[in-house]
Amino acid sequence: MTEDEIVRAIAALSQPAPEPLRFRCLAGQVLADLSRKTGISLARLEILALQNGVAPEKYLRNFTTFSLDEQVRLLESGAALLGLGGLGGLVLEYLARSGVGRIRAADGDVFEESNCNRQILSSPANLGQSKAGAAAARARLLNPACEFEVWPKFVDAASVAACVRDREVLAMRRELAEAAAVAGVPLVTAGVAGLTGWVAVVAPGSASPAGLFAASKGQSAEIVSGTPAPAVGAAASVMAGCALDVLRGRRPALWGKMLLFDLADATFETVVL
Amino acid sequence: MYAALKCYATLSALQPENAGHFPLEPDETVERLIARLGIPGEEVAVVFVNGRTAPRETVLADGDRVGLFPVVGGG
Repeated sequence: MTEDEIVRAIAALSQPAPEPLRFRCLAGQVLADLSRKTGISLARLEILALQNGVAPEKYLRNFTTFSLDEQVRLLESGAALLGLGGLGGLVLEYLARSGVGRIRAADGDVFEESNCNRQILSSPANLGQSKAGAAAARARLLNPACEFEVWPKFVDAASVAACVRDREVLAMRRELAEAAAVAGVPLVTAGVAGLTGWVAVVAPGSASPAGLFAASKGQSAEIVSGTPAPAVGAAASVMAGCALDVLRGRRPALWGKMLLFDLADATFETVVL
Repeated sequence: MYAALKCYATLSALQPENAGHFPLEPDETVERLIARLGIPGEEVAVVFVNGRTAPRETVLADGDRVGLFPVVGGG
């Protein structure tokens, strides 16, 4: 089939999206069948559909917060994730479901029982197993249009650049922020202790939370307070929102800033980095 | 003169009852405030005054919002 024929087939098989949306939509099964029949990747078919005013049904509730063009942009975009624990696992969940086209994720760790309070990829059934393996299975399950590349190893300062190659955004905890800055990709980063957390978006080469914390001799607060699920979830949600902003071509509200929050008294404060 | 204080994470145990309307001493610095709250200085990693990072020598003014943050790196 030529591209024109495919576009015509997509249009013929589509139906009006529910009110008040003003475009058409198409079931995932129809796109999957078309992909099998034509040998064209699901991601490419989704992009073709969106470019012709037809939204894959799985993305319907992204609209109109995202435009059809922004959904195309997400499918064409790439993110790197360092760490697949509490924050990384949830960020992966949200990016894959939202339709980010290419996700590269690295983690050399295996699950242990104390991960299960918050790490969405962990369960009593996969203790001792690789976080990277669980992430690959989850990403395939959530969104087969997402091209997921996994690095079952720990990334160090020397390998950050390779991990963020051809990616538009990097999400991770703060440890490698300085190395990431050199790679020239916006960094979305966060930390949690107890019901307190922070999230920041660091422009390449700009001040980062890692720099703020670097001089401190105090022990990291999560050693005492732990990392309960609601705070990890709140931080991961804000991270995912910021990453999706960057990936669809918008400047996140936290660009060059840091959100501080405390769920214990519902404090949310944004500070300049 | 009053400041609005917020002590995050492990520092919250030492946040005073009247944190939202905390009386300041004349020409009080952040350093002095931290000491007066009984917070060990090394436990405060970052000080924010009115939404910006601030050095501990900063002299506080009426109405300032002061945030004290320890190292927070879990996830």
